[in-house]
Amino acid sequence: MKCLLIASESAEVLFHWTDLEYQRNIQEQYGASQEEGEELPAFEDILSTLFAPIIISYSTMEDSYTSFTTDNNHIYVLHQFDECLYIAVNGDGEEKEDDLRRKMYVMKKMIEVMFGMVTLSGTLLRKELRPQDTEQRIRLWKHLQNLIETYSHLRENDQSFLVEAVERLIHPMLCEQCIEFLERRLVQQLNSSVERAGEEVLHAFILVHTKLLAFYSSRNASILTTSDLLALIIMAQNMYPSNVDLDDQSPEDVESTSGSGPESFYTPEPSPSSRDSGSSDRPDRRGTPVFEFVDPDIQMAEDSLHALEISPPDPSTPRRVFLDISLKDGLYPMMPHSMYCLPLWPGITLVLLTKIPTSAVALSVYKYLEDFDKLEKRLREGQGSSAAARSPLNMQDVRCKLDKFVKALGPSELQSAQLQIVWTEFKNRAFAKNGPGFNKDLIPWCKKMKTQLCGIYRQCFLIDSTDFPQRLSPGLQEGAQAMMQEKLMDWKDFLLVKSKRNITMVSYLEDFPGLVHFICVDRSSGQMIAPSLSITERTTSELGKGPVARFIKSKVWGLVRTTRRYLQKGYSTVTLRDGDFYFCYFLWFENESGYKLDSVDIPVLPDDSPPIGTLACDYYKRLLRYYSKNHKGETVKCYELLTVHLGVIPTEIILQHCRQLASKLWEPSRNPLL
Amino acid sequence: MAELMPPDTRRCTYFFLYDGSKVRGEGDPTRQGICYFYPEETPLDKQELMCGQLAGVSRCVSELSSSPVHTLRLRRCKFAIHMMEDFFWALGCSTEVPTVSVCELLDHLINIFCFYNGPIRQSYQLNSKETLAAQWARYLSHVQSGPSEIYNIFRCLRTVDSTTVDPLLLLKAALILQACQRCPLVLTGCILFRGRVVSTQMSPQLTMKVMVQESETYTKSQRSNGASTSCSLGAPVSSTAVFLTTSELQYLQSTPVNKNVSPFSPPLLDAPPKKTRLSRTLSDTPSTESEPPRLQTPQKLSFSPHMSESDDSFSPAPSQSSADSPNTSPQPTRSPLPNGGHAVETEHKLSHHHGFKSNGGSSVFEENQCLNGDDVNGDAARRAVFDLQGDDSGNEQSRDAQMVVGDSGVCFRKAESKHPPPPFTCALDSLEESPLIPKMLYMHRVNGLVLALLVEHGFMSDAASMEEVYHSSLASLNGLEAHLRSIAAATPGTSGQYTFAHYDCIQSTLTTNVSGRSGGAPEHPFVRATSLLHSHFCDTETLQEAIIRNAGVAVYGTRSVAQVTYFQQHSGSLRNSGIPNQQDSAFSLPSKARHRLLKHGVNLL
Repeated sequence: MKCLLIASESAEVLFHWTDLEYQRNIQEQYGASQEEGEELPAFEDILSTLFAPIIISYSTMEDSYTSFTTDNNHIYVLHQFDECLYIAVNGDGEEKEDDLRRKMYVMKKMIEVMFGMVTLSGTLLRKELRPQDTEQRIRLWKHLQNLIETYSHLRENDQSFLVEAVERLIHPMLCEQCIEFLERRLVQQLNSSVERAGEEVLHAFILVHTKLLAFYSSRNASILTTSDLLALIIMAQNMYPSNVDLDDQSPEDVESTSGSGPESFYTPEPSPSSRDSGSSDRPDRRGTPVFEFVDPDIQMAEDSLHALEISPPDPSTPRRVFLDISLKDGLYPMMPHSMYCLPLWPGITLVLLTKIPTSAVALSVYKYLEDFDKLEKRLREGQGSSAAARSPLNMQDVRCKLDKFVKALGPSELQSAQLQIVWTEFKNRAFAKNGPGFNKDLIPWCKKMKTQLCGIYRQCFLIDSTDFPQRLSPGLQEGAQAMMQEKLMDWKDFLLVKSKRNITMVSYLEDFPGLVHFICVDRSSGQMIAPSLSITERTTSELGKGPVARFIKSKVWGLVRTTRRYLQKGYSTVTLRDGDFYFCYFLWFENESGYKLDSVDIPVLPDDSPPIGTLACDYYKRLLRYYSKNHKGETVKCYELLTVHLGVIPTEIILQHCRQLASKLWEPSRNPLL
Repeated sequence: MAELMPPDTRRCTYFFLYDGSKVRGEGDPTRQGICYFYPEETPLDKQELMCGQLAGVSRCVSELSSSPVHTLRLRRCKFAIHMMEDFFWALGCSTEVPTVSVCELLDHLINIFCFYNGPIRQSYQLNSKETLAAQWARYLSHVQSGPSEIYNIFRCLRTVDSTTVDPLLLLKAALILQACQRCPLVLTGCILFRGRVVSTQMSPQLTMKVMVQESETYTKSQRSNGASTSCSLGAPVSSTAVFLTTSELQYLQSTPVNKNVSPFSPPLLDAPPKKTRLSRTLSDTPSTESEPPRLQTPQKLSFSPHMSESDDSFSPAPSQSSADSPNTSPQPTRSPLPNGGHAVETEHKLSHHHGFKSNGGSSVFEENQCLNGDDVNGDAARRAVFDLQGDDSGNEQSRDAQMVVGDSGVCFRKAESKHPPPPFTCALDSLEESPLIPKMLYMHRVNGLVLALLVEHGFMSDAASMEEVYHSSLASLNGLEAHLRSIAAATPGTSGQYTFAHYDCIQSTLTTNVSGRSGGAPEHPFVRATSLLHSHFCDTETLQEAIIRNAGVAVYGTRSVAQVTYFQQHSGSLRNSGIPNQQDSAFSLPSKARHRLLKHGVNLL
């Protein structure tokens, strides 16, 4: 009984995901109000009809709804992101309110990774999420639905997705060898090849199931954030789901996970661009005929329709992903990259992230978007303020640059022509001597400019327009795959086993009697360590088989949820005596040399704030920034430790264990990962 | 990141009742459906918006889930929702108040309304919207009268401070109640003093409802120095119609009437269940020396206290049947008294003891009466009581009483462990199903002291019974009042060392040193932590204890089946790095709590 719905303010369904049970439930609800024998309308229309009163009431209320619960424990969580209202429902008690909120934020994150800055324009995003063409819509929605299912499966079963930190395989020697191989052999070879079509490999990493074996970033690459890395792992898992679960799960478990089977339906094609990497900031001009006086929106829809018709799923076609990069002059979100997922063996994948030749356009678009956003805010604040007085000065600068930018784009492109028209009109209003100048009337034009810029971005990075898609040549990809396979051939089986039993409680039992489980997370690097919690029927772990292990697993999952709740309200230490167990949670800060820093009052957040985690709206990054305010010039690190002990162990001993774990857990594996 | 949110100490930000049946047609304005809206000064447009939107959206969600909406949250406010037929209640509180407390509060409000006004639909048919709106306002202000923020979390009975009141006074109060019950028309009762419980025979929930009326008459009597004179007996007596749910009535009838849930009065004389019935039966026998002959008339006995639920009138059952009724039949097996060891005592003493036990407090009472004669002067009564204790029989009684206390204490605990009431039960009487049975609430006020009795309808018309109850209790009430008045209003010592709150889930009582004075600012962190922990305890049945800590505050919470305790130690500074450390003062909280709270009568061992 689960549902996730994205709707526009006018109750148009932009996306929906429901499990079978909920779908049946909704159809029954609707069917009851229908006449006998009448055929049910499309499911999305039923959803739209039934949820419309909630959606409309949502926009009517000044202080809007965040959640409902009913007597039979159905939970509804609502959140509006820009112009899209997300509604998540649970009716089977498997998810709590914070799980639903997290799911919505993760969904939003995945949409951002897939559509980039197009998400900044409500109009464009609506069209992107709900393509006019039914078949295309079904394909896109299916893809997003699979992503949600993959994510949910990982969140429920994988500790690294539980705490939203990357788990690495603990094998320093092999790890180092692989990093070296990636650096010296693979990436070097790829980046010096002529077949790379102007692309440049920035990051390369090897995944064994969801765990990271090796990660290499080229020298001129920006740091890949943990949030993005986790999102990429979800995408890779979605493409090549590990059947590790299928191997040893009971039949009914298999059924529940089969939803996230392999698929490669929707593939945003790479952008049109010249093969020449030298002209990377000048996108190629296509020879498409220009239809003047056509509503650009309609034209866009037709464009994407066209794009999908001509793009048959091709395994060597990369996925366009939009990731955050930080350059010297600041942080640039949602910059276009190509992602190549090369399966080495089932469960082991090589992932390459490349910079595409035209990515400089994205930088410019983002800067202009920011400028117009600032201008709009200033105009809103009123003309009297000093900020408004300064804005024309800044705008002169923007004007020059944007003039050049528009000129470079050229008028032959429909989207560029549209931009040029709007830009000209904007200039007439803003800069003309007798024109209205910078006042509130300019606000709608700021909006129009932003929409046009998003349109350019969409044109450049989301629509495939050439018959020869931009990518590393298939031969090059195959070569990379083969190289890596050769390198890891002898390790393959070891890695697959190791990924299931990365570290085990056995090695800790002697030193920590009474310790049942622990998770330690380094929030600054986004990595975690935890003994494997294998709960399958066949394998016996230290926790025993089946029910006991499952019980402990549910306790661990519950503990993480509980401690997040307390952390949200500002409590960084929690100990709980619950049933036969004693749980501890600690969050603390250290400087680079390992000196423990004083704790500070952590901000208290409202109930509907973004979920505590890393994957969406990185809480820990903000926390570190908040803490660092008082520690200027010092690198602050943040750690978390969760432990589960038997309740009979005296508290002093438990605390002693925690202290020992906290101080020595990171010692044996200090080799750099990221 | 959001900054620390300012504390909103107001308990309730919105409360409204909306009747959807009044707004059926297209043209019907929403305001027609608004039965009551708090805050009353809210502009009508906003009232309409809130009522219309919240009721509408809840209806939609209920239909989607085939179940009524229970809670609804906005960004700045959380609502408990109750939907029944076309009625829609919403109670909005600050987001810091635990959801479970908001829901409890709404149920409590609706229960209070039904207690005094009967079924909701019917009362809106019989009375004007304005009259009932005044009622809602009154109930709402009553439930919000808690002195500090901590009362937003726990719905509790406020009691007289056991540490300052002489236990004998509590004993006396219990005896007065038992004496009143000798009249078969009296179902149960409680004694209240200035908005606090002295002794009660009712369940905490029922007592809370009765207290609404008490506080009402108290403020009235403060103002006009007189009460409604609905009774021939004089000014201080009043009565009002009330409605009990079937489960409440069953509770009254199925359990010993003096099932003493009074928080502080020793649970004396209630050791064997069916005690009162035993007393009544025994009181029928002519051997009991102090039984007033009037009550033995067959006519009186026919008023069976065990009334059938369907029949509200008095069933003229055969006089003896009340003694032989199934309800009383188990008595012979229970009659061996816990203190049978007294058999060695003289015949006289034994019989005296039986008399005492069987009549509850009545023997004391009667003697009291005799000693006092018609002098109802409070001081005289008080003197009489203590004189009585001075004499031989008085000693004997108090000794016996102590024995019984000890024994019954054991019994009480046993009963507790056998049937532990779910500690945080939110399930109140479901309002829909249970039909409401009309009864009367009789109140006898002596200055700040009130004797409140739940009585059968016939009681108010039965002048003899009324007079009996009035006169038999008057002297004792006067005495009790004089004593309680002389006790200085206890100031909850806000010890600078620590803050604590101890909630007894069975008696619904809260012991705390959170004063709420000076804006409660220094106590706010404690209340906030308690609020979070309380929600957690409610959610997680297996959770026994918890310590939570931020940079400045560490709070310890622990619970057992019957009670839950929160404790915070104020120390100079909690300087720490947050890393696990045995020396951390936060982890010594459990032992500190055990030591410090002993003197507040809280035993955490």
